[in-house]
Amino acid sequence: MDPECSQLLPALCAVLADPRQPMADDTCLEKLLDWFKTITEAGSSLLLLQENPCLVELLCHMLKPQDLSSRVLSFSLRLTGVFAAQEDCFQYLQQGELLPRLFGEAGPLGGAAWTAPTVRSGWIQGLRSLARHPSALHFLADCGAVDTIFSLQGDSSLFVASAAGQLLVHILGLSMQGPADGPPSLQAGDWPACAKKIVGHIEESLRSTATPQITQALNVLTTTFGHCHDPWTRVLWVRLSPLVAGLLEKDPVPAAHSLVDLLLSVARSPGLSSSSCGLWETLAQTLSRLSPTQAGPLALGILKLQDCPQALRAQAFAVLLQPLACVLKATAQAPGASGVLDGTVGDFATVDTLLPSKAACVGLLCRTLAHLELLLPLPQRPCPWPQAPLLGAAVTLLQLCQGSASPTSDTGHHLCALLLGCVRVQRAALDFLGTLSQGTGPPELVTEVFAVLLEYLRSPDSSPTVLKKAFQATFRWLLSSPKTPGCWDLDPQALLFLRELLPVLQKRLCSPCWEVRDSGLEFLTQMTGRWGGQAGFRHALLASEVPKLTEQLLRDPESYVRASAVAATGQLSSQGLCISPASPEHPGGQQSPLSELLHILSTDSEGFPRRAAMHVFTQWLRDSHADVVGDTEEFVAGVLQVASQDLDWEVRAQGLELALVFLEQTLGQPGSPCPYAVTPPVVAPACPLAQALQPLCRVRLFEFAFRALFDCDRPVAQKSCDLLLFLRAKMASSSSPQEARSSPDVASVEAALQRWQAGDQAQPLGDLEPEVVLAVLKSMDLEGLRGALAESSDHVEKSPQSLLQDMLATVGILGENEADCY
Amino acid sequence: MPEIRVTPLGAGQDVGRSCILVSIAGKNVMLDCGMHMGFNDDRRFPDFSYITRNGRLTDFLDCVIISHFHLDHCGALPYFSEMVGYDGPIYMTHPTQAICPILLEDYRKIAVDKKGEANFFTSQMIKDCMKKVVAVHLHQTVQVDDELEIKAYYAGHVLGAAMFQIKVGSESVVYTGDYNMTPDRHLGAAWIDKCRPNLLITESTYATTIRDSKRCRERDFLKKVHEAVERGGKVLIPVFALGRAQELCILLETFWERMNLKAPIYFSTGLTEKANHYYKLFITWTNQKIRKTFVQRNMFEFKHIKAFDRAFADNPGPMVVFATPGMLHAGQSLQIFRKWAGNEKNMVIMPGYCVQGTVGHKILSGQRKLEMEGRQVLEVKMQVEYMSFSAHADAKGIMQLVGQAEPESVLLVHGEAKKMEFLKQKIEQEFRVNCYMPANGETVTLPTSPSIPVGISLGLLKREMAQGLLPDAKKPRLLHGTLIMKDSNFRLVSSEQALKELGLVEHQLRFTCRVHLHDPRKEQETAMRVYSHLKSMLKDHCVQHLPDGSVTVESILIQAAAHSEDPGTKVLLVSWTYQDEELGSYLTSLLKKGLPQAPS
Repeated sequence: MDPECSQLLPALCAVLADPRQPMADDTCLEKLLDWFKTITEAGSSLLLLQENPCLVELLCHMLKPQDLSSRVLSFSLRLTGVFAAQEDCFQYLQQGELLPRLFGEAGPLGGAAWTAPTVRSGWIQGLRSLARHPSALHFLADCGAVDTIFSLQGDSSLFVASAAGQLLVHILGLSMQGPADGPPSLQAGDWPACAKKIVGHIEESLRSTATPQITQALNVLTTTFGHCHDPWTRVLWVRLSPLVAGLLEKDPVPAAHSLVDLLLSVARSPGLSSSSCGLWETLAQTLSRLSPTQAGPLALGILKLQDCPQALRAQAFAVLLQPLACVLKATAQAPGASGVLDGTVGDFATVDTLLPSKAACVGLLCRTLAHLELLLPLPQRPCPWPQAPLLGAAVTLLQLCQGSASPTSDTGHHLCALLLGCVRVQRAALDFLGTLSQGTGPPELVTEVFAVLLEYLRSPDSSPTVLKKAFQATFRWLLSSPKTPGCWDLDPQALLFLRELLPVLQKRLCSPCWEVRDSGLEFLTQMTGRWGGQAGFRHALLASEVPKLTEQLLRDPESYVRASAVAATGQLSSQGLCISPASPEHPGGQQSPLSELLHILSTDSEGFPRRAAMHVFTQWLRDSHADVVGDTEEFVAGVLQVASQDLDWEVRAQGLELALVFLEQTLGQPGSPCPYAVTPPVVAPACPLAQALQPLCRVRLFEFAFRALFDCDRPVAQKSCDLLLFLRAKMASSSSPQEARSSPDVASVEAALQRWQAGDQAQPLGDLEPEVVLAVLKSMDLEGLRGALAESSDHVEKSPQSLLQDMLATVGILGENEADCY
Repeated sequence: MPEIRVTPLGAGQDVGRSCILVSIAGKNVMLDCGMHMGFNDDRRFPDFSYITRNGRLTDFLDCVIISHFHLDHCGALPYFSEMVGYDGPIYMTHPTQAICPILLEDYRKIAVDKKGEANFFTSQMIKDCMKKVVAVHLHQTVQVDDELEIKAYYAGHVLGAAMFQIKVGSESVVYTGDYNMTPDRHLGAAWIDKCRPNLLITESTYATTIRDSKRCRERDFLKKVHEAVERGGKVLIPVFALGRAQELCILLETFWERMNLKAPIYFSTGLTEKANHYYKLFITWTNQKIRKTFVQRNMFEFKHIKAFDRAFADNPGPMVVFATPGMLHAGQSLQIFRKWAGNEKNMVIMPGYCVQGTVGHKILSGQRKLEMEGRQVLEVKMQVEYMSFSAHADAKGIMQLVGQAEPESVLLVHGEAKKMEFLKQKIEQEFRVNCYMPANGETVTLPTSPSIPVGISLGLLKREMAQGLLPDAKKPRLLHGTLIMKDSNFRLVSSEQALKELGLVEHQLRFTCRVHLHDPRKEQETAMRVYSHLKSMLKDHCVQHLPDGSVTVESILIQAAAHSEDPGTKVLLVSWTYQDEELGSYLTSLLKKGLPQAPS
């Protein structure tokens, strides 16, 4: 601890101990605790307490009966735990009887303060911190803390209850670390006292008839097996597994969700899953005992396991597929056509059981789709994967929701009535359908997929969120359509689809909902990026009104849409698909996308479109866009001039990014730090560096960069610093090092920079000569500046001294400020 | 037992990071999704892992409702929807939907600017999150699904702030968000109808305070600015892009106009344009005065307030500058502050709360020597003022709202424990309702008795009316009918109609009882004696002696038979329908007492 903080600490402790001086801000106490944790992790807690006796005084103060703030009391309990985590400091605090008085019956535990959840939470967290060594275990056993923790598992506060469970797991693990002679036996006789007590409590809870108690026990075990894979956990599971299996005998199965979590945790634990205590049988039995909703997560978990018996995997997959099989069966035109799970779904009674009401049906279907979506990309997914039936199911569900399915059975009609217009199922099914595009399907089914997607994109009833997902799924299916490996062109079927799709997109770009217009533009940008070079796509797109509408959307009232239109225009223009927009000033005349986007950059009142324009310009410069290569210098000069004046620091930062690209193109890439990296051919200047800098001076890049060095927004200054450091590195590696000249020009630039640094940025630099730039660069302490920028205002925000000062300064002036948040 | 459960993950006995989970009739709703600006790590967001241990959030939560655009109510939303993975619907009012992304973007920029934070939501995430929003109108009942409906009420506080009623069947909860019961310069007062919810969840920021009129604070503000400008000083007002800034702009604009002042007023970023655009767009949400004057002159079109250029800060002479961010922790406002701090003629006015770790917090707590980066010391000689313009209901306002809504119970959030305790007692005393104040993580469970609507057939009603009794809402009365449960509906119809509708045949149910009488006479004579006895006892009833020898009293049939073993004893067989159960039981008890001695 530095001396300044040591000096401030006694005053702060006095304030904390004084109930008449309430602490305004919880965050201060949290940050103070963070600081103490850092100190104690780096050094001796005992020394800290000895050098700062005010800390022990503060803790002792907590023992006096008084009207203490529960927040300060909670803080003190946690702080005590942090100190007592080191055994010598624990002994020191024990000597003063401080620990039993704080954590035992005599402490807050028995007083009125205990009613505050924050105090109970502090008590648990304090113990959690101190339980690090054998002495702590004795202490816990002696002061009866474990019993209190048992009862806190059922606390009214979720936070306290959860922390109590975690603490039990921690104590169990700590106490089992003790015995060195291998894992204990099954009999509890040779288990350490604390462990014996906790395991006994778990056994008792598992035998209980009260579901909350069973849940608590299962949760403790789940965490234990999830975190600890020591040999003793295997003994524990062998001992407890009959009790866990016994839960399956009850009807209904209690705490089903927690039971599933536990079984999966055990199955994932490397030492346990292979043990011969009937885990696979228990899993199989659980699958068959639980309801479809409860069994879904278990089935997914089983299928994610690396090695488990094939029969169990098949059973789990059947459980997972059952709801979709029901849907297919109920809507099948001919009997036996479902193909997902023939034979598993018996009759319509099963459908009624699985999907009884709207809420149950929607919930189960959404969960099933989400589970399958998670499973699909995994290498351990079931093989063979029933791609075609699943595609069929997804399409059918979407048709049912849309009302376009024509079921023949009563159950089918019932399902149709339940799902009609259900946005939740639509969203889940579209996501799932998109994921299914990773595989293929029979051509007739793929046609159906495109048809249903088109139906959704066309439908006036589709909500904006559904439309967005429909666009995403469509893009994924278009991506997956190539038939020839390595060829990314759209196949004829996809092109046919595209011809139908573009008029729909056109309509969506005119939607009154900004969300829809925006999703449409994002979709267009993606498509153009992918197939903009392909003749079929180009032809279809140019034949449509889409490019014209995109151009119109550059003037959309919603800034998000304008930004997306800018991105789309950039992409279209890169591919030569842009129609020449009409200038707002001269509606009859033609204007290039470049001048249109420059207009947006200089006039748009909002940051998003301006930032989007900067992205496009930078990309154009990188790709040597036709409009840019004509006169790159004019382009860069124009963009930089506007960007440097922008009020949005992100636009200014992107201006520097563009400047860096220009710099690299002019001078060549920076030296690659990786010796094995393939560096692109460098357009190394054959001329001296000063000469090479001429174009940079002409576009006034340096005035922008120097000014940005002192920008009030840190990222801009950092970026500029990096840019200039790159240039200086170039200077150093240049074959013809330039001699810095001291001239009146250099002196005047340096003087101007000093004024800028002092905050007076009014004076412009004027035209700069390359030699002057090089000389100024050489004399500048850019490394120092970079260091200062990296540190920035951390002293104000993060230093402990600043925190202590703030806490002390706040005392006594707490008025209305404290609660006056917004 | 049906119940409503409420668990605050944030705003339980504290201010900041509002996030309240409500379960009502099997539906789960999250009210607000705020962030705490005082933390720079994960602690700034509510701990969403407590929402459900089992399964996906999207499956568990039916919807999220955002009350208004302040970051302590919506700041965690992009994190929740785009990083934690909630993919369901989010409801807010139209102005909140428009303004929320501006503030989120503003905050994101500050966070990234200041820290270079990587693990923070991006612009794209904010946009994607806003695309999931369903905007609602005031007083519009929105069906989230077949059972769950929500309705927004005007809350004052800030533009677009709303209270929400959440209703499933006959059970309902009202969540106030932040609200203001007195109109201010540009917004009206909160209002709700007498919706009698099962539970009212109300903010309690000023639970113990009776606040003076905001007009006094406004006068004070203008006076201070005026004095500083008059003495040639520069005034810095750090603000966030939207909200307080517009309020203060209106104040200064009208004051400048009235006093014919010439000192320039600047707004430091272009954000104000968009903000003002929204204030114009949502003019119906502002108060009556603004709406009226809108016809003559739009109050949000400022004549005196101009866009700020960085170079202006060095201009000589007085000026007033609104600069972002509001807590002097980065960017433009901090830069201007550094320039002007050394001159005692200048003034900084903090119009809102500042979190620890910001320069704003330091100067408000009276620190005058600030150690900045590189251990440079900045001496603050300029005048520092704090002005609270926050618009929350005070204790009186909260009581007024409780009185208006007439809830069955009240739950306090968004306040301090001690102050809540005081208000809780007051509410319980005055309104005789239970009042709760759970801490974060604590669950309050309220049992409810749902009322199930039952339709009644016209025929049955007419029959009741025919009996001459007019219905009286205050007097419960007995009505016989048959309850039919069909297609999730309940209907009360006459039994005849029920039989007809269900295609059933009526079954007669009769109770029978045997009464033994010591009577050596013949059965016919015994029956006659019974008839005479009952005739004399039951003068108001129709007692008949039938030709077959049996006796009837209304629907009750009595027959006498000989005892198979004892000729001196006769057995009376009494039978009656369930409609005459009372009379049947009475008769049986009467006959069991025996018959009066016959005259010999």
